[in-house]
Amino acid sequence: MTALEAGMLGQTLLLVLAVAAALLTPTPWRSRVSGTFCTLLAAAGIVTGALALSGGTGSLSIPTALPLDPLVLSPDRLGGLVMVVVSSVGVLASLFGIGSARVASASRTAWLSMAVFLCGMQLVPAATDVVTFLLFWEIMTLGSTALLLAHHATRGTVASALVWYSAMSQLSFFFVLAGFAMLAGQAGGTGFADLATIDPYSWQASVAFLLLLLGFGGKAELVPLHVWVPRVLPEAPGHVAAAMSGAMVNIGVYGALLVLVRLLPNGPAWWGVLIMVVGGVSALYGILQASVASNLKVLLAYSTTENMGLVFLGLGASVLLRADNATAAADAALVAALLLMLSHAAFKSTLFLGAGAVARAAGEMNLDRLGGLGSRMPWTAAAFGAAAMGAAALPVTSGFVAEWMLLQSLIHGSRVDGEVVSVTASVAMPLAVAVIALTAGLALLTFVKAYGIAFLARPRSPEAKLAVEVPVIMRIPLVLGALLVVGLGLLPGPLAVAVGGAVGPEFTPDVRTIGLAGVDARGIDAVLDPTTFVVLAGLLLVPVLIALFVSARRHPTRTSPLPWAGGGSRLRPRMQYTATSYAEPLVRVFDDVLRPSRDVEVTHVGESRYLVERVHVEQTVSDVVETRLYRPVLNLMQRAGILARRAQNGSIHRYLSYSFVALLLVLIVVSL
Amino acid sequence: MFTTIYPQLIGLCTGTLLLTSALMVWRHSLLASIRLLSVQGFALAALVAVIGVEEGEVEVILVAVLVLLVKGVALPWVLARETHATTRTDEAPRLNPTAALLTVALLTILSYVVASRLLAGIDGVSAHAAPIGLAMVLIGFLLLVTRRQAGSQLIGFLVLDNGIATVAFLTSGGVPLFLELGISLDVLLVVVILYVFAGRMRSKFGNTEIDQLRKLHD
Repeated sequence: MTALEAGMLGQTLLLVLAVAAALLTPTPWRSRVSGTFCTLLAAAGIVTGALALSGGTGSLSIPTALPLDPLVLSPDRLGGLVMVVVSSVGVLASLFGIGSARVASASRTAWLSMAVFLCGMQLVPAATDVVTFLLFWEIMTLGSTALLLAHHATRGTVASALVWYSAMSQLSFFFVLAGFAMLAGQAGGTGFADLATIDPYSWQASVAFLLLLLGFGGKAELVPLHVWVPRVLPEAPGHVAAAMSGAMVNIGVYGALLVLVRLLPNGPAWWGVLIMVVGGVSALYGILQASVASNLKVLLAYSTTENMGLVFLGLGASVLLRADNATAAADAALVAALLLMLSHAAFKSTLFLGAGAVARAAGEMNLDRLGGLGSRMPWTAAAFGAAAMGAAALPVTSGFVAEWMLLQSLIHGSRVDGEVVSVTASVAMPLAVAVIALTAGLALLTFVKAYGIAFLARPRSPEAKLAVEVPVIMRIPLVLGALLVVGLGLLPGPLAVAVGGAVGPEFTPDVRTIGLAGVDARGIDAVLDPTTFVVLAGLLLVPVLIALFVSARRHPTRTSPLPWAGGGSRLRPRMQYTATSYAEPLVRVFDDVLRPSRDVEVTHVGESRYLVERVHVEQTVSDVVETRLYRPVLNLMQRAGILARRAQNGSIHRYLSYSFVALLLVLIVVSL
Repeated sequence: MFTTIYPQLIGLCTGTLLLTSALMVWRHSLLASIRLLSVQGFALAALVAVIGVEEGEVEVILVAVLVLLVKGVALPWVLARETHATTRTDEAPRLNPTAALLTVALLTILSYVVASRLLAGIDGVSAHAAPIGLAMVLIGFLLLVTRRQAGSQLIGFLVLDNGIATVAFLTSGGVPLFLELGISLDVLLVVVILYVFAGRMRSKFGNTEIDQLRKLHD
């Protein structure tokens, strides 16, 4: 038995133990025991994934009673990479859950489904055939659905969110199933090795590609299949949202990678263009919605759509460039997409855990009612801040490295040796750069808002005023996550090499480590060494800081009443910017896309027209995709449902007649 | 000597089966239907016995005895006992007798047409009689659809079951004893359960018209 096989066996054993712990432990101890087992399960996933990533081989075969081949789990290097990513998020989420899970989210069902969910996610990338892949995919989906269900008793909105989630995840399952069925029918087998023999230029491959893009795009929260995200994630407890948004979306990306790297590499150029369009639209739409959202979790949820959009933009660029024979740039774009996935997992899980900590401390997710948490919850604030920097793609974080790499590949992509590779690429690449630039700008604005409004200034509500720091067990994953965000940003070289190795043997990106763990993408002449940059900047900064410190000692600070208080001291928390007012200019600029509905209600004092007692402003931004695309379809289906109900009136005779007529019709058809 | 009268015996038995089924559609009285069901059970048993003698297999003859006991004696006895015990209400079917008999004729024609396609490759006397089984299945279904009382519906169900058994015996030349034992006990159990259920219905609503069970939809 190889180490890899032992790792996978260990994961299944730990799943059994975690399930047993969730069922058998009494309530006061359940979160601790089950959380520990879930953490161990995820840790086993990290070890297994790392073994697979470093080239270990081995397979675990699970015989079934069904007339199928046995389920074979044998992760390749790409699968290993994804397994490491989702398991790392799983460790953070489980650790956080030990401290944060209370009442409903600490129930037997919740911990049991957490373990099932984690195990499903960790084993999807290990699948070597379609059936195994789909089985663990469904286990993952069912686990997450049951996890969300835990809160249905206390909040009415959970049920509707859950219906959306189930419907959308089954829709994406259907697309994935249909796509794989198409490929399997063409290849004559369900193993991924059989599927890889199909010619990507055949029409069957293109149909399968479209179906699979829809299916995996739905899991990766891309527009227009993202509608469940802003409903579901705000209803989920912090650690569950972190696991879903930080880890589960990566399974969607893995599916896309599986198709574009393993099964149908070197696809036609229009695939690349299509993926780029879907990714670009998702990125822009996601970040626009995030920038105007005033609920912290909704903001984070839409930001996931944005980041996954960028990942797919990178994937699409790599397909397009490869079709145009710009291999070096294509490889760089692929590495960039993978780096984006990694960095997104790190910062998004930290952000959601931070949001969970805020929800526990202040009991509030509405940014307009938060504020001043920075001094009350310093650990959470620091971790959230670091992760927010990552999400805004600021230097020395992982997000920066990934977006830098993507931009480099796009800028250098449309030319090889000074020659334009194709008209499509020379149009698509500059457009993609513009999309990323706009996205990056809006992301900066969004996360300045998220961090600034929530953690700085004064509390905007009594709940925020009374907030206290979360216990140590919850701080640990927060700090770990923040360290990951910064660490991945400081060590891009080894990371890019590992990622580049993972897409082999089909593709061999020419990236290597340079300087102090810096990255050198040789094909496109791009070098980045953040650690050296940080060390140099630190050396330069030391004298400046000393000078500042000395001068500050010399001139004592003056305190003066704030000028805008009109000389008085009537400064109140309500005079501050709120999330809504901060985003107001954006709402104006993007009025056509966002279509906000505003409701201003003025109450006058007595009869006076000029004296105002209170002004109530309410602004809601609707999701255009939902109102324009989903509502009409849903209404149509509802009407059809009402018609269909007439056929089903409860009379047994009528049902018997239906079967009788059906039987007669079958017989008549047979005898024709 | 037996081989010469074998086709005629098969024809006699299957003819009786079809005749009893058609009569059940015609008659409205529950007790008359039960008697016809008993006759049908005897005819089915006789059919199995004829097939058994022709093939010279003791097991098939044992099956015939079993069929006789269950379908000819036990089931009608259970049904009749329950029917005697309660106040008798005659059936008012949803289809008048003329139309029902016409439908029976059409269904029989249909089953002959279908069987001519399905059993095209199979030769032999018994296979030629197989459409009767199919017709019985369809007639049983017709009874299920058109009768209002729970008891009559049960009879429709039993005719349907007899039809399936007829097709099975005629096309495969007999069913293994254990299989037949299982099926027969199953049917017996279903009938007992349905009768208990009908009794509950009677005590709840005062009759067994299943038209009243309309609440089971959302």
